[in-house]
Amino acid sequence: MAEHDLTKTIIPYLDRHLSLPLLTHLVDFSIFPVEEVQVAQYELAKGTNMFDYAVDLFERVHPDEEVPAEFEGKRQNAVSTHERLQQEAQAVLDVIENPDVAQALRQDKNQNLQYLKDNYNLTLEQITALYNFGQFQYSYGNYSGAADYLYHFRVLSTDNDLNTSAHWGKLASDILTGRWEVALEELNTLRDAIDSRSSASVPGHSAAATEPALIQLHSRTWVLHWSLFVYFNHPQGRTLLLETFLSPSYLNTIQTSCPWILRYLATAAILSRKSSSSPSSAAAPVSARVRHAIREVVKVIQMEEYQFQDPVTSFLKELYIEFDFEAAQRELTLAEKVIGNDFFLGEFREEFLDNARYLISEAYCRIHQKIDIGDLSERLNLSRDEGEKWIVNLIRETRMGADAKIDLEKNVIEINRPPLPIYQTVIEKTRGLALRTQALGAAVARTGQQGGGGSGVAKNEIQAPAVAVN
Amino acid sequence: MSRFFRQAGDSDSESEESDDELMSSGDEEAPQRPVISTTAKPAMSRFLRTADSDSSSSESDEDSDSDSDAGPTRSGLPTHDDSEDEDGDDVDAPGARIKSATERRLDEMKATGKGMENALKINDWVAISNEFDKLVRLIQRQHNLSEPVPPFYVRTLVGLESSLSIAVAKEKEAKKKMNATNAKALTAVKQKVKKAIKEYEQDVKRFQEDPEAFEREYSVVIAHGAPTSASGRRSNITGSDNETIDDFTTVGKGGKVLQFTSEGIFKNLQAVQEARGKKNTDRAEQIRILEKLLEVAITPYQQIRVLLALISSRFDYNSSVATHMPVELWLSAQHEVDQLVSIVASDSNYSIQEVTDDYDELIERTPITENGVVWIRGSIISFIDRLDDEFTRSLQNIDPHGTEYVDRLKDEKVLYCTICRAQAFYEKTRQGDPLGRVIMRRLEHIYSKPNTVVQALEAGAEASEILSNMTLSIQGTSSALIHALCVYLYKAGNPLLRTRAMLSHIYHHALHNDFHTARDMLLMSHLQESIHSADVATQILYNRTVVQLGLCAFRSGLIKEAQATLQDIFTTQRVKELLAQGVHQQRFQILTPEQEKAEKQRQLPFHMHINTELLEAAFLVSSMLVEIPLLASIDSEEMKRKTISKPFRRLLDFADRQVFTGPPESTRDHIMQASKALQDGEWEECRDLIQSIKIWSLMPEAVAVKEMLAKRIQEQGLRTYLFTYAPHYSTLSISLLSRTFSLPLRTVTSIVSKMIWTEELSASLDQSGGVVVFHRIELSRTQQLAQIVADKVAAMVDQSEKALDIKMGGTGGWGERGDGTKGDKRGEQTQERRGRGERTRGTRGARGGRGARFSQGLGNQMPGQITQRAG
Repeated sequence: MAEHDLTKTIIPYLDRHLSLPLLTHLVDFSIFPVEEVQVAQYELAKGTNMFDYAVDLFERVHPDEEVPAEFEGKRQNAVSTHERLQQEAQAVLDVIENPDVAQALRQDKNQNLQYLKDNYNLTLEQITALYNFGQFQYSYGNYSGAADYLYHFRVLSTDNDLNTSAHWGKLASDILTGRWEVALEELNTLRDAIDSRSSASVPGHSAAATEPALIQLHSRTWVLHWSLFVYFNHPQGRTLLLETFLSPSYLNTIQTSCPWILRYLATAAILSRKSSSSPSSAAAPVSARVRHAIREVVKVIQMEEYQFQDPVTSFLKELYIEFDFEAAQRELTLAEKVIGNDFFLGEFREEFLDNARYLISEAYCRIHQKIDIGDLSERLNLSRDEGEKWIVNLIRETRMGADAKIDLEKNVIEINRPPLPIYQTVIEKTRGLALRTQALGAAVARTGQQGGGGSGVAKNEIQAPAVAVN
Repeated sequence: MSRFFRQAGDSDSESEESDDELMSSGDEEAPQRPVISTTAKPAMSRFLRTADSDSSSSESDEDSDSDSDAGPTRSGLPTHDDSEDEDGDDVDAPGARIKSATERRLDEMKATGKGMENALKINDWVAISNEFDKLVRLIQRQHNLSEPVPPFYVRTLVGLESSLSIAVAKEKEAKKKMNATNAKALTAVKQKVKKAIKEYEQDVKRFQEDPEAFEREYSVVIAHGAPTSASGRRSNITGSDNETIDDFTTVGKGGKVLQFTSEGIFKNLQAVQEARGKKNTDRAEQIRILEKLLEVAITPYQQIRVLLALISSRFDYNSSVATHMPVELWLSAQHEVDQLVSIVASDSNYSIQEVTDDYDELIERTPITENGVVWIRGSIISFIDRLDDEFTRSLQNIDPHGTEYVDRLKDEKVLYCTICRAQAFYEKTRQGDPLGRVIMRRLEHIYSKPNTVVQALEAGAEASEILSNMTLSIQGTSSALIHALCVYLYKAGNPLLRTRAMLSHIYHHALHNDFHTARDMLLMSHLQESIHSADVATQILYNRTVVQLGLCAFRSGLIKEAQATLQDIFTTQRVKELLAQGVHQQRFQILTPEQEKAEKQRQLPFHMHINTELLEAAFLVSSMLVEIPLLASIDSEEMKRKTISKPFRRLLDFADRQVFTGPPESTRDHIMQASKALQDGEWEECRDLIQSIKIWSLMPEAVAVKEMLAKRIQEQGLRTYLFTYAPHYSTLSISLLSRTFSLPLRTVTSIVSKMIWTEELSASLDQSGGVVVFHRIELSRTQQLAQIVADKVAAMVDQSEKALDIKMGGTGGWGERGDGTKGDKRGEQTQERRGRGERTRGTRGARGGRGARFSQGLGNQMPGQITQRAG
């Protein structure tokens, strides 16, 4: 199983603190020798200010050795730093927490800064103390505190670089404290910040522009990795993941710098199937991108096959490109294990299996006319009885219900899909043409008026939803 | 002996003179043939002047004025000259009172000076111009013999300048202008004098400061010059015995004995340099002189100077652009560049730079006199460039099927060594710009070569004493070596070199069957968008790269990709021209000789060619594999117009029209007959025909490629069969299919499933019976028409929307919203029925679009640039 483990690939793109849970997960699943993982854990923890944890790990790794003395010294050092930073930060915090101040603060950061400076004698350096203290707290594992301080800092500071850094810090803290709602929000703002930077970069200077482009690529790669934490824990996460990862810029990032993310993308696509096809999801409208997620993902998988391959992606490939159901079934068994062992995907194993079976049977039914139930059950890794139950459910739930019938005597399913009547295809093709033409006409009229009539615009806006609904 | 030579030299110069005169008279149109006689001159011009009698008064005014102005400066000159001449004569030839060559020249000069003076008096600038030309020529000859410039010349110059300025001022004030010829001559003289003064700036200055001292100096030099030359002659005879066994002495033109000693090197060097580019300098002679000089050069400084001069004179040997440099010359030039590089590389106190401070060319310089590094003007990189270019040119001109070509090709190894040395040298001295250029040269020698050749080249290069840090042994594989070279160029920041490096890198990847990397690099470089604005050579490289990429896809069995990639270049029907492997015969226009020449120069040497027949075979076979099933799947006439590969379709139509078909001969015949067999479901015949194409033997891993093709033919044969015969069956046993096409059952199922899934085939599988069940719906005529109308109307609305988008600038709110709604609706529609079919079509469309732009752009670009060049 070890060859399909991505922990090693992913860790370089994560923060020290974020990779600790990953390693803990590895210890639990014992894919790798526990000792080795523990050594790795220790090495990681050594670089942080979490001395107790590090000492604890050290003792576990070297049970019969003395704990190095340097930890004690460092601890002392850290405590004093903590006090100093806290004092500095406290001064700012006192001012900010004053209700008068909170009321006086506005949207404009410069104005706020001026205000604080005039009334409370707060300078930029002092505000930076918030950042320092937040960072320090993060380094010894007090994530919620760090999140607080970094939040305050970001509200006040105008320094772009530090702000970005604070963004990342806040996101990491939120992830580590498990506040997924907040983390999601944070992630979105961070993504906006990264995406907007490209437009801000100077066009024309091709030599100079390569640098920001490279930085942006790096940031996006990091966002992709960090967001895995959020998306696989947030209830709405999978849909959002598809939305984000399938957007052109992030898809490109995946293809160029981190094709292994495809596993998560593929899994999310498979997981999203049920939510998109079941009627309950109608409440939350999903975009076209999510609905066609599997199609898109398959395309990408095919393209990147030479770079990255694992059971999950090969499952989709076998199913949708080769149409080799036997191979797909083989890959599914493997994929199930991989997913079960994966840090992010572990808890979705059942759901994944369920959805994957749906996909197989859907494809199978579309291609075949007469299906032996036993054979299909075998394809799905199910026993005969289970298979039958499963198939009945499938027929009941999915839209092919009308076309399929089970013949228990012969033990086959017969699928009889009448071809779409020709008039219906013609209707479908021409549907909406009238409205589109009308919209065209309106737009032409509007250009004729040179945008003079406000009513024209309003009318168009009324039309827009009408077209969309149709 | 010497006398004979001198005579020859003299007659030579005389004939040259008359030549020149003929030319000048031709130039000026005016009836002044007898220029030699100065006396005839005034009469002529007087005649001219009478033509415009009005101006005579004002001009005569001018005359007198200029005379009076010129008078003071000029007065007494002849006497000075004379006396000095006497002096010079005395010293020069104490023994015999025979006028020496120097003397005679001086006399000639004086005669011309007189002529000029006379002409000046009557304000005849045409005559002055001629006389002045003559004078300059005389002086030039003086120079060639490295004799000092006589003060007489300088004096004349100064005088002429002053009278010129006066004349010009007059001309401005005068109401009546001079006649046209005269005015033209005046300006011409003005230019010439200016140039001459600039040339002898120092002398002129010194003369102006103290004319007498200047003259004295000259006489002293002359006095010294003669004895040294005499002694030099003697020493030369004794010194150079080993080469001239008898009393033969090396004699320069004009009978002057040349002395090759290390002290005289710089003088000789200067003489050679000044003669460079002149009309009647014997280039071979120059080279010989320089070779001799190199033998006697002792210090590194001397060696470098002589080498610099020698190499450039070797490159000068062939002045015409059309022919190539003789191979022996090239070899010695190559050897000398090597020598130069090793001298400079071994002694860091000497540095050759393209831009240096001015220095005196005539004195020896050492690191001590220069306080550190001695900078010398010159450019190694341009030598390397030239060497490489000459090599290519010679390959272009040699018949590629002869043994000479192969022999010449062997020289690439030494050339490559030289380039590597230069690279190492520039690496050592950290000169970024030339390093980039030299690395590019190196890259160009190896990027298109297979590993073994690169290894052979590298083995030669590694034998040299200075090594660059990029060698095959350090990098391990040739790919790593190329990677290292390219990475340097990417970082170096020169955009042109970067582009070329990128293309070479992609080419290399493609050559080594690394299709995915090559494709990703090409797409990520975004070169497709900017290549139209690149220079022709880069465009050619781009075309080569794309073609190689297509071949790579073909070898790797990615038929669709190969077809799409090669399509672009084949639709232009000018494959050879686009790859610079042959000149295209234009039917409607005839190239001018210049265009043709430029075209010829761009051609790649034969060994770099990509075999176009192989290319065509690959393209047509992949087209066949893509097109034939598609053709079979189309049933209505309407759809038939949608073609993927026009060239292929054209050939196929042509083959269809033929009444009789004999056994296939050419590659095309093979492929056409194979296509027909495939259409009929005879996959075995098709396979045999394709595999019997002889050209495959040129492809690396030919056996594997043939096997791959056989497999593809089986699969596509199955698809074609299904498409063609589906209407005639209601069920078809899978096992029968598997037997017919000798494919495993699983593969057949997989192919059929895929076709069902993408809705290419309206059928389904019956698992229990192991058969394919076809659902065929016969459309009535009305239904068909209704469908077509619906399609067309939808297309029309799309078109109008697009048109509006363009009109509104594309950024309008309308466009966005329209897109959104369109996308939504179409999404819904297609999701239901179309499934994945639409997707594949979508991507294909995009590819085709880019391809069209590519071919169009290139097609237009090339002639455009050619005409530019010609203009």
